[in-house]
Amino acid sequence: MKKNYILAKWLNNELSDMELAEFQASPDFEKYNKIKKHSSHLEVDEIDENKILGKILQHKKATPKIIPMYRKWIVRVAAIFILGLSITFVMKNFVPQTQTAEFGKTTTFSLPDNSEVVLNSGSEIEYKKWKWNANREIELEGEAYFKVAKGSRFEVKTNLGTVAVLGTQFNVKARKNRLDITCYEGRVKVNYEDTQLILTQGQNVIFENGIQTNTSINALKPEWIDHQIAFNKENISNLLDEVQRQYNIIIELHSKDTNALFTGKLPTNNLDVALQIIGTTYNLEVKKAAKNKIIFEQK
Amino acid sequence: MSNKNRSTTCDEIIFSSFFKNHFKSLRNYLYYKFGDRDQAEDLAQDAFIKLWQNCASVPIEKAKSYVYTIANNSSLNQIAHQKVVLRYAKNFGGSDKTNENPEYILEEKQFQSNLLKAIEELNEKQRVTFLMHRIDGKKYSEIAIELEISVKTVEKRIHLALLTLRKQIDL
Repeated sequence: MKKNYILAKWLNNELSDMELAEFQASPDFEKYNKIKKHSSHLEVDEIDENKILGKILQHKKATPKIIPMYRKWIVRVAAIFILGLSITFVMKNFVPQTQTAEFGKTTTFSLPDNSEVVLNSGSEIEYKKWKWNANREIELEGEAYFKVAKGSRFEVKTNLGTVAVLGTQFNVKARKNRLDITCYEGRVKVNYEDTQLILTQGQNVIFENGIQTNTSINALKPEWIDHQIAFNKENISNLLDEVQRQYNIIIELHSKDTNALFTGKLPTNNLDVALQIIGTTYNLEVKKAAKNKIIFEQK
Repeated sequence: MSNKNRSTTCDEIIFSSFFKNHFKSLRNYLYYKFGDRDQAEDLAQDAFIKLWQNCASVPIEKAKSYVYTIANNSSLNQIAHQKVVLRYAKNFGGSDKTNENPEYILEEKQFQSNLLKAIEELNEKQRVTFLMHRIDGKKYSEIAIELEISVKTVEKRIHLALLTLRKQIDL
């Protein structure tokens, strides 16, 4: 039940007429009314307010603490700086690092253990700095040459297979359906689907659509490092793909008689020469349709 | 530039008018509570001195609860409670002019002194609330804000105070 403090309401003149009439009829009403009447004439001693006010105003105001602007400013700058640092730290160590080589360019960089990587054009590498020494793992898309510092296991993962090595130099080339690995020094272990094999110095293996081809090479490092690409019994569409990637151009082929396989080297720093070589080999005419577009036509 | 943000409480005219509006009722409140007039005045004065000293950090709309809080906090240490001594206004005879027979006047005097005694006997909470209403003429809502209680609680205290007073006077 909601309490109704009828006396309080009455003292404050809040009663309704009916409630008031009822209350007035009660035997105690007279006494309450007397209390009300007399208590309204109570008072306390007066005070000399002006004197007190005067006394109060004599007190000095406390000077509010003014924080100089420069200090606020510095704190803000410091906070932003620290935040920036921590984000950078997190990014550097926990977020995968990505290195890319655009079409027509190669990129050279070092890994945390000083292993050297040369990325061929149109390739990308992702790795994590966090616990690098315990887990030297790299994800590769495209082609790269590795000169691995001696140390623990080093792994290169591609979408086709994994290459695991100890201090060595080797080249990994992962294209659509083709994984091409060459070992220039030391030993590498290649995992392709269910196949596992070990390459030693001067050995090369190509897996294309599940077919394994082993060859041997004499070069000490990949040709593309010296601005050349070597092809070994390559069909023309793979050949042109590679040229497009190296020079960042578009090539159209208007010819049907292109079944011949190409073996040889093409420069990667001289487009005219490269095109000329292809033209001569396949008996095609080279036409520059636009700055970045080449058309091969049957002569 | 920092003067722009300075609280208006620091303005002497505004502070003075705030003082005039609230000093007496704060002092009275403390008096109802402790029954010591000098102590009440000192506590109230100290609270206003603190407000004046810290005027820059207390906006005028917060000043009232500021002085009440200060006064309440510093009064926690003041243990000596005394009886509240009240008196009736001088021009209040307590009697109807039409009825001047000595017996009636005597009865009225008796009632008045009984009432004062009964108020003195009230417990602190009821006394403070009752007197804030009767002497300072405050609304229940104002009392509620100053004592930091609900209006319902004010009503309850007033109600109980009246009940107690009537019983005391009847004795």
